[in-house]
Amino acid sequence: MSVITKRAISRRMLLRGLGATVALPFLDSMVPALTAAIPTVRFGAVYVPNGMVMQNWTPGTVGTGFELTPILEPLAPFKDQMLVVSGLNCTPPPGTRGGTHSRAATRFLTDVHPGVWNPEAVSMDQIAARDLGRHTPLASLELGLEGANFAGSCDSGGFSCAFSYTISWRDSSTPLPMEHNPRAVFERLFGDNNTTDPAARAARRREQRSILDSISADVARLQAALGAGDQRKLGAYLDAVRDVERRIEVAEAQGDREVPLVERPIGVPADFADHASLMYDLQVLAHQTDRTRVTTFMSGHELSGRTYPEIGVPDAHHPLSHHRGVPDALAKLTKINRYHVGLFAAFVEKLRATPDGDGSLLDHMVLMYGAGMSDSNAHSPYNLPIVLLGGGAGTLRGGRHVSFDERDRTPLANLHVTLLDKLGAPVERIGDSTGPLPTLLGGSGADRLSEI
Amino acid sequence: MSKRLARRVGAVAASAALLLQVSASARQAPGTGTPHADSHRALLDSYCLGCHNDRRVAQGAAPVSFEHLDPTDVSADAEVWEQMVRKLRLGMMPPVGSRRSDPVSHERFVTRLEAALDQAGLARPDPGRPPIRRLTAAEYRNAVSTLLAVDVDERWLLFPPDDVDQQGFGTNGEVLSVSPALFDRYLSAANRISRLAVGDASIGPGFAATTYDTPRLLYQDDRMSDDLPFGSRGGLAIRHHFPLDGEYEVKVRLRRMIYDYIVGMGTEQQVEVRLDGRLVKRFTVGDADRIGYPSAYSFFGTIRGDPDWEQFVSIDADAGLKVRFPATAGTHRLGVSFVGARTEATGILERRLSGFSLSGLGFYDGNAAVERVEVAGPYDATGSGDTPSRRHIFTCDPATSAVDAADQDSATDATDQCAMRILSALARRAYRRPVTETDLATLRPFYETGRDTVGFETGIQKAIERLLVAPEFLFRVERDPVDVAAGAAYGLSDLELASRLSLFLWSDIPDEPLLAAAEAGRLSQPAERERQARRMLAHPKARALVDNFATQWLQLGRIRGVVPDVDVFYEFDENLRADMEQETVLFLDHAIREDRGLPELLSANHTFVNERLARHYGIAGVYGERFRRVAVDDDRGGLLGHASLLTLTAYPTRTSPVLRGKWLLDNLLGMPPPDPPDDVPALADNHGAAQPKSVRERLELHRANPACASCHRMMDPPGFALEHFDAIGRWRATDADGAPVDAAGALADGTAVDGPAALRRAVLSYETSFVRTVTEKLLTYAVGRRMVAADQPAIRKIVTDAADDYRWSSIILGVVESVPFQMRRSES
Repeated sequence: MSVITKRAISRRMLLRGLGATVALPFLDSMVPALTAAIPTVRFGAVYVPNGMVMQNWTPGTVGTGFELTPILEPLAPFKDQMLVVSGLNCTPPPGTRGGTHSRAATRFLTDVHPGVWNPEAVSMDQIAARDLGRHTPLASLELGLEGANFAGSCDSGGFSCAFSYTISWRDSSTPLPMEHNPRAVFERLFGDNNTTDPAARAARRREQRSILDSISADVARLQAALGAGDQRKLGAYLDAVRDVERRIEVAEAQGDREVPLVERPIGVPADFADHASLMYDLQVLAHQTDRTRVTTFMSGHELSGRTYPEIGVPDAHHPLSHHRGVPDALAKLTKINRYHVGLFAAFVEKLRATPDGDGSLLDHMVLMYGAGMSDSNAHSPYNLPIVLLGGGAGTLRGGRHVSFDERDRTPLANLHVTLLDKLGAPVERIGDSTGPLPTLLGGSGADRLSEI
Repeated sequence: MSKRLARRVGAVAASAALLLQVSASARQAPGTGTPHADSHRALLDSYCLGCHNDRRVAQGAAPVSFEHLDPTDVSADAEVWEQMVRKLRLGMMPPVGSRRSDPVSHERFVTRLEAALDQAGLARPDPGRPPIRRLTAAEYRNAVSTLLAVDVDERWLLFPPDDVDQQGFGTNGEVLSVSPALFDRYLSAANRISRLAVGDASIGPGFAATTYDTPRLLYQDDRMSDDLPFGSRGGLAIRHHFPLDGEYEVKVRLRRMIYDYIVGMGTEQQVEVRLDGRLVKRFTVGDADRIGYPSAYSFFGTIRGDPDWEQFVSIDADAGLKVRFPATAGTHRLGVSFVGARTEATGILERRLSGFSLSGLGFYDGNAAVERVEVAGPYDATGSGDTPSRRHIFTCDPATSAVDAADQDSATDATDQCAMRILSALARRAYRRPVTETDLATLRPFYETGRDTVGFETGIQKAIERLLVAPEFLFRVERDPVDVAAGAAYGLSDLELASRLSLFLWSDIPDEPLLAAAEAGRLSQPAERERQARRMLAHPKARALVDNFATQWLQLGRIRGVVPDVDVFYEFDENLRADMEQETVLFLDHAIREDRGLPELLSANHTFVNERLARHYGIAGVYGERFRRVAVDDDRGGLLGHASLLTLTAYPTRTSPVLRGKWLLDNLLGMPPPDPPDDVPALADNHGAAQPKSVRERLELHRANPACASCHRMMDPPGFALEHFDAIGRWRATDADGAPVDAAGALADGTAVDGPAALRRAVLSYETSFVRTVTEKLLTYAVGRRMVAADQPAIRKIVTDAADDYRWSSIILGVVESVPFQMRRSES
C-alpha cells in the first residue's frame, strides 16, 4: 500500500534522502586508512548522457595493443591502466515500454529498469559505500552539474524525473541528489572551514574539541541532578558528543596528509568546463583527504539539451543526438563525446599525480566511465560504451580491450558484480546479473586480488 | 451535558430476560459502599461476558476478558475500564447486531463508570513522568530567534528531520533523540548562528550564500507573494539575512524544461530584482524569434533550430541576470519577479499543462518562470552594521564601560564585566532560569579566547557558540525535588512551568514577562497562570499552535509528500497543493484566534479559498490569489470537506475509504484501529475487467473474511460516506469508472449515514468524544508523552469544565491547569 508507484517518487522519500546524505555515519569499526595491509581501494563512476557515437568509440581490435579511437584519444597517457569493455547490455525486461532515457541513467549502476522498479533496487556504488563508507566521514559523494530536479515526470511513459537526474540510489525509494553546487560539496567535505589550509582546520578542530570537553563536563553536572531514566537520555547525548570527538581524532590523525590549499567556493561557475573541472577537483580532494571512498558524477542529466559553443557545437545535445546518420551531426556529436572524455582525462591525470600510500590515487581506484545508452538515435541499450580506469589496488589489469559477443547479451550487471568483488563488497547478484565476468576475474574467479 | 446517542435498539433488554452468571464467590466488598457495583456487574454479565470471557480469549476470539474485573475497585484494572468506557461512549460495543441494553441503562452505566474512575483518579493522581527531551527543530529555530533576533534559514541548519511518534507528534520525548549527525549539525549551527548574530567581520562572501529554488511544477502566472509588487507575476520572495554591510550579488536562473530550453523565451518579458520593495535592477529577456529560427517543439525534442537560437535559448538568454548592489546588514526582503503583462489570452485556450507536458515542454510563447535565485556576499564588507541582533546582544558597550577606568587593568576589568553582563542576560533566557556562577565560569574561557585572539566581539561570539550547544539550552530539564518520596506526584516549579507553558503555546522559550513572573514565584497562583496563558494565547506567537500542534494532530504535513498520479489527476500541481494546505491552516488559525468552540471544526459552514481552490470546489464568484472567507454548503463544510485532508487520505490513483475511515477514527474519535496483520495483499486493480468493480465491491473481502471484518467494519463505513470526494478532494457524482457514487456508510455504532453532511452530523453527535479526543491530543503534545488510562480522569475534567461551548481557550486553560501538565511523578 505504498505511496510510491512504479513511476513516481514521493517527496517525503526525497527529503529523507537529502537529510541522510548530510549525515555522518560513524560506527565503532573504523580502520585508519594509513595502516591497512591491503591498500585502500576506491571507486568512482562518471556518467555522460545521450549515448555515444559508437563507431568513434569502440577500438577496432581486441586485446592488448588496441588503437585509441577519436573519442578515447584524450585518455592516451593512461592506456596501460585502461580497460575498454565492449558488448555489455541493459536488455529491457519483457513488457517494458518507453523510458528510453530514464532506463539509461537508472540502469547504469542499478541494473533495474524503472518500469519494473522493485524494493530491492539499489545502485552498486551504494552497495560499495556500505562497506567502504565505514571508514570515512562520508559514506559516498554524489555530484552533478545541474540541480536535482526529481519532481515531475521526464521522458515518455511518465517516469519520474528522478530516473533521469541521478545514477545513485541508496535504496529503491531513495534517489540521491547529485549535488551541483561546489560550495555545498565543499561544506559537506570540510564543514565549517573556509579553506583546506591545515593550520586553519587544525585551529577549528581545537576549538571544537574544547567545546566538546566543556559540554561533557556540563552533562556530567546535569546528570548528577537527574533520575536514572533521564540520565540515560542525556547519556545518549553524550554518546553523540563522543562520536563527534572520535571523528575529530581521526581527522587529526590524517592531518599530515598533503592537501592542496583550496578556498571554499562561493557559487556555481557559469562556464561548463570550469564547473566540471571544479567538481572533478573536489572529487580528487575528497579521495585525497579520505573523506570518502565512493564518488559518482553525472556530467549531464539524461536528455540534456546543453549546447557546447566552446568546441564549435552550438546545437543542443539531445536533438543533435538524434543524428539519423547525418555525417555532420555525427561529427558534432563525436566532438561532444570527446570533450567530456577530455575533461575526465584531466581528472584522471590529477589522480595519477596525487600520491597515495606506496603509489598514486589512480593506482588504488576503480573508475568506471560511460553511458547508459550506446547509439543515441536508436536509444540502444546494447553494447554500452564503458571504460575502466585505474589500478583497483592491484585488482585491475589495464591496457586491453575486452569485448563480449553481442549474441550473448551479457548483462552490464555482471560487470557490477565483478567490480563489487574487487572493491571488497561482493554480492551474489544485482539486477539482472548472471554471474561475474570471467575474463576480468581470471581463472579462479574467487580471489579478490587475483590478476585478471 | 452529554448528548444522547440515537441508534437502533436491538433485542429487548428487559431486566427480566437477563441471564445472570453469578460467580460462585460473592465478590462484594464488605460495606465499601461502592455505588452501583452490583448493577454494573449485572450489565457486564448480561451483555459482555458472552464474548469477553477467559475461554474466548484463550481461543483468540476476544482480545480481553472481563471475568475478573471488580466493579468495586475500578482502579485495579483501569486500562480495561477506560477502554471499555471509550468504546461504550462511541456505541462500538456491544457490536452491532448483538444484544444491547436500552439506551438509558447504557448511558447510566457509562456515566457512573466514569464517575468511579474519576473518583479513583482523584484519590491517587498519577501525572506520569515525561522524559527529559531536546527541543524540536521548530522550537530550536524559535528559541534562537527569540534569544538572538536572528531568523535561521532551514537551509543552513540541515537538521535531519525530526522523528514523530505514532500519533504524528514531534514533541514526544520517547522519539526525540540526538544522533551523532544531529549533534554535528548543532555544532555547525552554533558556529554559524553566533557569527551571524554578532556580525562577525571575518564573514566572507560564501558564508551566508544561499540558493533558493522553486518547485518545477509550480505555475508562476500570478502574483506569488504579498512581498512582491502589485502587478508582478511569478518569481519568488525571499527573506535573506545579509551578514554585514557591504556589496551583495544576486544571480537569477530561469526555468528550463527537460530538454534544457528556457521556457517562455518567445515573448519579451521583464524581470525585476527588488530589495525591500525598492527596484534594484530590471532586465529584459526573451523575444528569441529575432535571434533565429526556433526549434520545432516536436514531442521528442529532436528537431533543432538555428544554432544561434539554440545557444540563446539554452544559455545566453538568462546569462546576464546578475546584479551587484550594496545592502546593510540584517534581514531584508529580496523579490525576484516578472512585470505582469497587460494581456489576456483569447480564443480556445489550451488546457493547463501538467506532469510530463509541463516539465517536458512548457510554452514557448507563454510565461517564463524563475527556477533559482543565488545570493552571495558580502563582498567588500564595510562593517557589522546596526542589526536587531546586535542591538539585542550588545546591551552594554565595552568602550563606554572602560572610559571611566583609572588604568589599563580597570579598563580590562570593565570590559570583562560588560561581557559577563551580556552573557548573563543571554544565559538566563537560554537556560530559562537564573544564572549561576558555574554558568559564567563555563562560558568565560570561550569569551577570553576570542577576546585575546581577535577582540571583544569575537569573545562574545565564541561564548554564544558555546551557549547554543549547552545541554540546558537544548534540553527541557525537569528535576525531582530532593525531599519527595519515590514514585510520588509533585508540583513542578514555577520555572519549569514557565518553560512548559511557552513551549506549549508558542513552541518557544519564555519571554521576559513570563520568566520574571516565574522567578518571582507568582506562577504558583492560578490567577497569574491564567493571566499569562491568556496573554500568550492572544500573542502572534500563538500561531505555533496551528503550525505545530494542529498540523501534527491532523497530519497535515503529509500533504507535501503526496504524489497524485499525473495521468489521472492532471489538474493537480504545486499551486493547488500549496492552496490546499493554506486553506486548512487559515481555517485552524481562525478557529483558535477567534476562540471558537472545538465542535465548529466539524460543524463550520465556512472556509477560506482563493480563486484556484474555489474553482476546485465548484464555488463561483471568487477571483484572485488572495484567500478570503466564503460560505460553503453542508457537504463541504468543516474539516471533513477540506481537500488537503481528503488528498492525504487517498492513494495516487484512487480514493481509499479505509485510509479515510482510519484517519477519522484516529484523529477525531480517538479510537485508532489496531495495526493490520502482516502480508495483507494489495487491492486488486480493475485492469482488464469486463465489468469494472467499484472500490466498494473490491473492498468486499474486508467484510467477507471475519479476520478482516473485526477492524474493517469500523474503518470502511465512515470512509464510504466520503466517496463523493475524489482523491484530490473534488466533488464527484460518478466514480472513475462512470458508475454513480454510492456514499452509503455508517458509524461503528451502526448509525447509517449517506454522504458527507450526514457523516458530519453523526460524528458531531459524539461531541463529547470528539472534544475529549482533541483534548487528549493537546495534552499529548503539551506534555510530551503518550496519554494512558491514568490520564483519562484529567481529560474528562478538562472537557467537563469547558462544557457548553468547548472554546479553545477554555480547553487550553484546562490543559494548563491539569494534573499531567502541572505535576510530575518522581523517579521510582
